[in-house]
Amino acid sequence: MSYSETFKDHLAHPRNAGELPEATVIAEQTNPVCGDRLRLSLRIHDDRIEEARFLAYGCPPTLVCGSVLTEMIQGMTREEAGRITRQKIIDTLGGLPTRKQHAAALAIETLHAALEDK
Amino acid sequence: MRRVYLDHSATTPVDRRVLEAMLPFLTEKFGNASSVHFFGQEARAAVDRARRDVAALIGARAGEIVFLSGGTEANNLAVRGIAELAAPSGRHIIASAIEHPSTRGVCEALEKRGWEITWLPVYEEGLVRVEDVRAALRPHTVLITVMLANNEIGTIQPVAEIGALVREERERGRRHLFLHTDAVQALGRMPVDVEVLGCDLLSMSAHKLNGPKGVGALYVRRGVHLAPQNIGGHQERQRRAGTEAVPLIVGFGAAAALARQELNERMQHLARLRDRFEAGLTARIEEVVFNGSRASRLPHLSNISFRYIEGEGLLINLDMQGVAVSTGSACSSGSLEASPVIRALGRSDELARGSIRFSFGKETTDDEIDYVLEILPRTVENLRRLSPLYLEATGRRAGERDGTVLAR
Repeated sequence: MSYSETFKDHLAHPRNAGELPEATVIAEQTNPVCGDRLRLSLRIHDDRIEEARFLAYGCPPTLVCGSVLTEMIQGMTREEAGRITRQKIIDTLGGLPTRKQHAAALAIETLHAALEDK
Repeated sequence: MRRVYLDHSATTPVDRRVLEAMLPFLTEKFGNASSVHFFGQEARAAVDRARRDVAALIGARAGEIVFLSGGTEANNLAVRGIAELAAPSGRHIIASAIEHPSTRGVCEALEKRGWEITWLPVYEEGLVRVEDVRAALRPHTVLITVMLANNEIGTIQPVAEIGALVREERERGRRHLFLHTDAVQALGRMPVDVEVLGCDLLSMSAHKLNGPKGVGALYVRRGVHLAPQNIGGHQERQRRAGTEAVPLIVGFGAAAALARQELNERMQHLARLRDRFEAGLTARIEEVVFNGSRASRLPHLSNISFRYIEGEGLLINLDMQGVAVSTGSACSSGSLEASPVIRALGRSDELARGSIRFSFGKETTDDEIDYVLEILPRTVENLRRLSPLYLEATGRRAGERDGTVLAR
């Protein structure tokens, strides 16, 4: 296991894990290849993401990308959030091996699904 | 941080007594066992002693032991060695669906070259059925390879019954049918006797029984011929060329002697710890599934699927708390598919991904079991609370904002 300290920190202490009772949008996406799943619950008000929570099933990068993503998008406008790339998430984590980068892709896909809703 | 090693199926620590036996051969007794002079003869005598000790562990004759580099090489030599010589008589092999990747790999390579392989199902219990072997036999079958005990789930296969079947076939006049069994995981954890098993070939590895890595052996029954795979030298009666790895072989011999002397004691210790662990686990954690027959398996191993969570996540969280185990999840092995062994039991992808193998050793203590039982339930629960699958299945609310996965 050669994960960065940031990665291990997110894994040990995930941020924003759980559900959002007053969510205005919920999106859930699955990676068909390995079955990883990410669920994002957002409360958007006046075009701003007031609060974000996540649930995740899958290998550690999936859990960590969920944690990192929700931390990033809180307080952003929809447009700002929509501009976050896979690479940005990967860089925030301190890098990911190529074969684990699908986790970042899943995070972005789930985010876009949430932003496109409503 | 406290470290608890529960991955003895992957490898075991070298016993102190084994290390002591090896040291002289890494220092002053450095001769090449094939040299005629004193230094060589000293090394030769040590190799012979080790050969007798390894043979005694399985009820074989010393001359039937071929030393090589490990279990993988033994499996390669057994399957390829027979295939090359027996090909004129037929090109069909019967193997279980849960063989070690080394055996599986060789069979698949032969398949690409036109060989026919029948993979025996293992059903939910993880056991092959002798009737299936009987039904799969053809006039052109030359090899049956069924591991004595599986490395992931520990189930013990009916090799002796298959041996009896092979004997029957021979009595009926069949001349080119051989039985190989991979005993790498079984050795040192159950009694192994080649006469009882009726096998022609048997694979062994030292580092699974508190010996060093880099050495193993293939048992080859007297009268059975193989095509050597490492050639260009006379060593091991021309069955495996290359200067004998004297220190490693000596270590293997010492480990084998200890395993034989201490077998009953070890088996009892392992079974007791494992059973305590499983009882403690089921009392504290819900929605777990045991993989493989609990009646017919090695005493040191527990393979368990934890519903709703993924194995590598659990593995790393346990690792961060000092506990070392392994998982059947694909993420961890680098392949795209979850453990073929767990899938062969009929388990879903999700259960295969959520499987963890806990394997105990002679060094494992009750205290260590207590520690794991203390942290495991909370670690599992924390991962479940993160999981949308758990939410879906139980309708439970995962309320906390900053869920902490490490047990407090």
